[in-house]
Amino acid sequence: MRPEDALRAINEARGDALVVPTMTAVPEWRTIAPEAPSVACVGFMGGASSLGLGLALAQPERRVIVLDGDGSLLMQLGSLATVAGAAPANYTHVLFANGVYQTSGSQGIPASGSVDFAGMAEAAGYAFTTRIDTLEELRIRLPELLSIRGPVLVELAVEEAELTPMTAPGGDPLRVQVQQLRERLAGEG
Amino acid sequence: MPENERIPAPLIVGALKAAFRGQRTAPPKDGEPLGWVLSVPDTHQRSVIAELEGDDELRLLTCSTEDEANAIAAGLYIGGAEVALMIQHAGLYASVNTLRGVGLDGGVPLFALVGLLSREPELEPEDSPRSMVRFAGPLMDTFEVPHALLETRDDLGLIAEYYALSRERSGPAVVFVGRETA
Repeated sequence: MRPEDALRAINEARGDALVVPTMTAVPEWRTIAPEAPSVACVGFMGGASSLGLGLALAQPERRVIVLDGDGSLLMQLGSLATVAGAAPANYTHVLFANGVYQTSGSQGIPASGSVDFAGMAEAAGYAFTTRIDTLEELRIRLPELLSIRGPVLVELAVEEAELTPMTAPGGDPLRVQVQQLRERLAGEG
Repeated sequence: MPENERIPAPLIVGALKAAFRGQRTAPPKDGEPLGWVLSVPDTHQRSVIAELEGDDELRLLTCSTEDEANAIAAGLYIGGAEVALMIQHAGLYASVNTLRGVGLDGGVPLFALVGLLSREPELEPEDSPRSMVRFAGPLMDTFEVPHALLETRDDLGLIAEYYALSRERSGPAVVFVGRETA
């Protein structure tokens, strides 16, 4: 599955969800969904799942979608337990599993190809976990995965992305994204 | 240390509530907490953590790491919630990149109560032979993070002061807890 196609499918299905992209999802998401209520996890690799958790706890009426990477999640793997413990019903954790640290040169992640992220999330206590290998299946299941009681983890088997934050830098600085989304949510509240 | 020199946990919880109330523009809605406390358990503040577990107004969330706590705090802040961290000095060292990324680059007002475990009461922290105690303040100085030392009841006002300071400067502010709470 091409990650760009997966991101487009997520954008079409997201409704009014808040979105937290990280690493290779960042430049493509910026292009696909420039108006989406998003804040990118940049500069603290591994933090997307936790940033999304905070949003989900503060905005329990809104769905929160985290667009995470496998290498990123490994940096804060304990967050699976923290998310499960907090048990946000409005939390969907989409894991783009390409098996490599693509941004730094596509070095393989530890135990690349054999780590079962959906299984680890299930063992941590996520309410629902699954692995999806094809775009067709993702399109069919997204409405359910973005509406059922969370926390949900969806492991996507994806190819490497066309762009990375290194090859396609840009976008607003994190400080601007933080304030813009905070003000937007305050205005909607 | 004489028991009467230790700050009772309910006073610190009360000070946190006052700090949160001082920043809120509206009372909590039904089911919404007054504010969140994100903790990676700290020996110095264990009585406060125990007190928070039974509190009706504040929501305590235990995190696996201090990195997580910083990022969760960012999400809560963006979402309009009040939030404080309760961690140990070792966790401050462990999470310094997230503190930098979230608090400095992201402009998120991270407020943290940081326990100085093993701090010798007869010495100033910067004179401690223990590196964990001695370098905590200088580390914050390096990152231009304002910090203060909470040790007696007379210092309780530092919590609201530094919480407000973190909001005013849109960045981190730290209150070190120099003595174990009661």
